[in-house]
Amino acid sequence: MHGPPLTQKIDMPGIRSVIAVASGKGGVGKSTVAANLALALAKTGHRVGLMDADIYGPSVPIMMGLDTVDPKTTPFPIDKYGIKLMSMGFLVDPNQAVIWRGPMVHKAVSDFLTKIEWGELDYLVIDLPPGTGDAQLTLTQTAPLTGAVIVTTPQDVALIDARKGLEMFKQVRVPVLGIVENMSYFAPEGGTKHYIFGHGGGRKMADAVGVPFLGEIPIDPRVTECGDGGEPIVHRHPDSEPAKAFVRLASIVAEQAQLAKSAERLPEVEL
Amino acid sequence: MVLQPLKIRRDGDERLVIEWSDGVTSQVTWDTLRRECPCANCREEREKPADPFRILSEREVQAGAPRPVSMIPVGNYAYKIVWNDGHDAGIYTIENLRELCHIN
Repeated sequence: MHGPPLTQKIDMPGIRSVIAVASGKGGVGKSTVAANLALALAKTGHRVGLMDADIYGPSVPIMMGLDTVDPKTTPFPIDKYGIKLMSMGFLVDPNQAVIWRGPMVHKAVSDFLTKIEWGELDYLVIDLPPGTGDAQLTLTQTAPLTGAVIVTTPQDVALIDARKGLEMFKQVRVPVLGIVENMSYFAPEGGTKHYIFGHGGGRKMADAVGVPFLGEIPIDPRVTECGDGGEPIVHRHPDSEPAKAFVRLASIVAEQAQLAKSAERLPEVEL
Repeated sequence: MVLQPLKIRRDGDERLVIEWSDGVTSQVTWDTLRRECPCANCREEREKPADPFRILSEREVQAGAPRPVSMIPVGNYAYKIVWNDGHDAGIYTIENLRELCHIN
């Protein structure tokens, strides 16, 4: 009766903060937030890595304008737009499905953490898959997470699942740096804000559970165009409203990560 | 403030002593920890009616009374105990450890 191989918490001395970007539900723009957050942190002079922990549905390659590579000739992580990247999508053809059980996901995520030469980084942003499954457990058990950013959209159906993500991090004692609300409103040409999916859900939830509200990211078709086009909006249109919102998000996340860093690790047992 | 163990140490041969962030010092025997192993298999075994004819495996016989081989932190939230009978699937959360200490 042996459990799956469980690595003791990995030491990543070259990395100052490890930030997980999570959501309870898929489709809330978690990968978009992770990629733009990573680029916004890099814009302010930080050394940043982005690790795509979504083994079944990696999004980092398409968002960063990259494709599968030959691992024999290409060293990982891959540099693009000034940040270091690693994703399952660099290894598996986009038309091919990764059909794995939990232990394989555990191994892939562990390998990304331990076998990739991340070097010295100020922030390693980890794009988690949606939900509360294997990849999340592996990361919370083995990665020295500084904290987690929860992404939600304003609808109740997304908020309910975001709450589950929050509960997971609470149970595994990973600090939640805050909640960011994506697709908050639409404001044509900077005019009146239209709260298409409802208003204030993310902030209300943050207040209810006592975690910081990290801000609202507006709906803008350019966010999707840029993501699908391989150059995230923070890089492509730095003066756009969503890009500014991501830069504000990055500065709050940096502050919160600094506060969370003082959280104590568990003591070793004297046997 | 969340409850946190500050110091965890073995006390003699039979028990574990934990000093907590709320000032409490508690103890729990290895027998209790092994009997209350939170892994899926042990939980299921506990729910079954006791089998009077259960035969110990050779390893269990050789191991004798349950003693830990190692006890290592898992993330920020739990400890994993590797037992002298080879069992290592139980992940004891901090809350779980505190509750077991109360039982003792």
